[in-house]
Amino acid sequence: MPKQKLTPLPSAAFHILLALVGEDLHGYGIMRSVAEQTEGRMRLGPGTLYSSIRTLLEEELIEEVDRPRDPGAKDERRRYYRLTTAGRKLARSEAERLADLLRVARAKNILRGDYV
Amino acid sequence: MSEKIFRLLLHLYPSRFRQEYGKEALQLFRDRARNQKGSWQSVRLWFDLLGDLVISLPHEYGRSQVELAGASPKAGPDGIPTFFVFEPASPGRRPLLFGALLSLITFISVPRLHEVNHFRPPSNWNFARAPTYDKQDTAPQQPASEAEQGTVPTTRRTNATLNPTARHRIIEKAIASIKQHHVDQVEAQQAADALLAHEQRGDDNGAANIEQFARLATSQMRAATGSSELLLLYSPNAIPERAPGPPPPPSAAYRDEMQRINCAFERVEILPHNIGYLKLNAFPDASVCQATATAAMTKLNDVDALIFDLRDNRGGFPGMVSLIAAYLFDHPEYMYCPLENTTAASWTHSPVPGNKLSNKPVYILTSSRTISAAEQFSYDLKMLKRATLVGETTAGGGHAANLHSIGDHFYVGTIEVRAINPYGKNDWNDTGIEPDVKVEAPDALQAALELVDKQRERK
Repeated sequence: MPKQKLTPLPSAAFHILLALVGEDLHGYGIMRSVAEQTEGRMRLGPGTLYSSIRTLLEEELIEEVDRPRDPGAKDERRRYYRLTTAGRKLARSEAERLADLLRVARAKNILRGDYV
Repeated sequence: MSEKIFRLLLHLYPSRFRQEYGKEALQLFRDRARNQKGSWQSVRLWFDLLGDLVISLPHEYGRSQVELAGASPKAGPDGIPTFFVFEPASPGRRPLLFGALLSLITFISVPRLHEVNHFRPPSNWNFARAPTYDKQDTAPQQPASEAEQGTVPTTRRTNATLNPTARHRIIEKAIASIKQHHVDQVEAQQAADALLAHEQRGDDNGAANIEQFARLATSQMRAATGSSELLLLYSPNAIPERAPGPPPPPSAAYRDEMQRINCAFERVEILPHNIGYLKLNAFPDASVCQATATAAMTKLNDVDALIFDLRDNRGGFPGMVSLIAAYLFDHPEYMYCPLENTTAASWTHSPVPGNKLSNKPVYILTSSRTISAAEQFSYDLKMLKRATLVGETTAGGGHAANLHSIGDHFYVGTIEVRAINPYGKNDWNDTGIEPDVKVEAPDALQAALELVDKQRERK
């Protein structure tokens, strides 16, 4: 099966990787985390979210982890996802790429103020 | 309820996606629905979901195709090649029924859609093209109306005959051309059927020569369709086709000629008893002759009655018809023109500032030579009860067809526009216009003057 190419890294995939930095999350958790880190601008729907998750799993950038069932959550068995080393590396390199881009933007004086 | 809808929407995804993430997606939906209460939040939730569907569906199916494209036929254990398929599971009964129903609907609707397409305007239907009845500035062009009257240039070649194979080829080309160019595809099909049926019956063998065959085919098409514009013409002399796109600007020669003949305004006079008399021998291009027309109408502004002498008028441009007719109304009036679709330009620019002619009696003198745009002018004013026609029945040669070469000196005449006549199906094409007062053309002016006198006495 040919692997889904992740270059350039789609915005949704990058945000999912960022959301998983530091904690394992299930789908809804990822969605909320992405919404928070983008101040509500990106609200991942189920199609985009699980499509991206599937790709990231195939590329071994994230992995599924077993988590004990949440006692407060009825019978809902949720799948949790964790960032792999490769995923962390890719997220870092993408962040660095964006930082480079930001430096160029600053050098060209297209940013108003210096708050970024 | 909304969960049910979402479950249904999930079925739009490939089954593999549903199997792997269907439950998770449903769970995500539940979570969001639980945390997004209130009507505005619900709207936002569904907005997000539908947007997500639009974006992610093609992506998922694209992925399925990539997977499929990567598959290659491989031999099974018994040597029979097997293939990967989109959906690993066999389709259930419901999808099969749905598929069958969808196929049935498609099979039924495709021919219907095709019928609707028949009414699509032809590709060369150019609204920007200013129509003319006759080609005053393109003298070499052969108007179809003349061809219909039997003035086709004849040479020895017209006496040649066609063998059945060649004749069949001409018929096929004619049919293709008619279907491509004629405004009414139903008529085009009727014409095609008639041509083929007559050919099969051997009716065309009665034609003694090529020209007779062309005339015979023309009559066959007209009998089948009732459309007098359809034409198969044989002309040994080449007939230039009208180029697609906007018409060329009036040539210098045309301008010079119009200047020489005062734009065909032969006489603009005020007769005794304050009767205006305008002898107009054409309706020239308004872009060249507007000033002349305005001057003529201004000169006649104070008359008590107006006589248009169109006995020698050989037609011209609908724009000039509208321009002159504008003086005869105090409100915009619809001027039916068979060559044009109804547009804003179909109405006269009435009232004309300072004009006093809008309520004056109008008489139009006609002869059997009055043709084309002159017939449009006469017909419209007669139908609008704005003018009294005095003279002879007009020529009845209004609708010059567009000629399309189909090779071998044959031309097919079709029309690209069929305007809806508000006064009935037939206008003056072929039949001419009956005058209100029928007199010999040379006596028409005298008869009109007597009518003016009578009317004045009645006042």
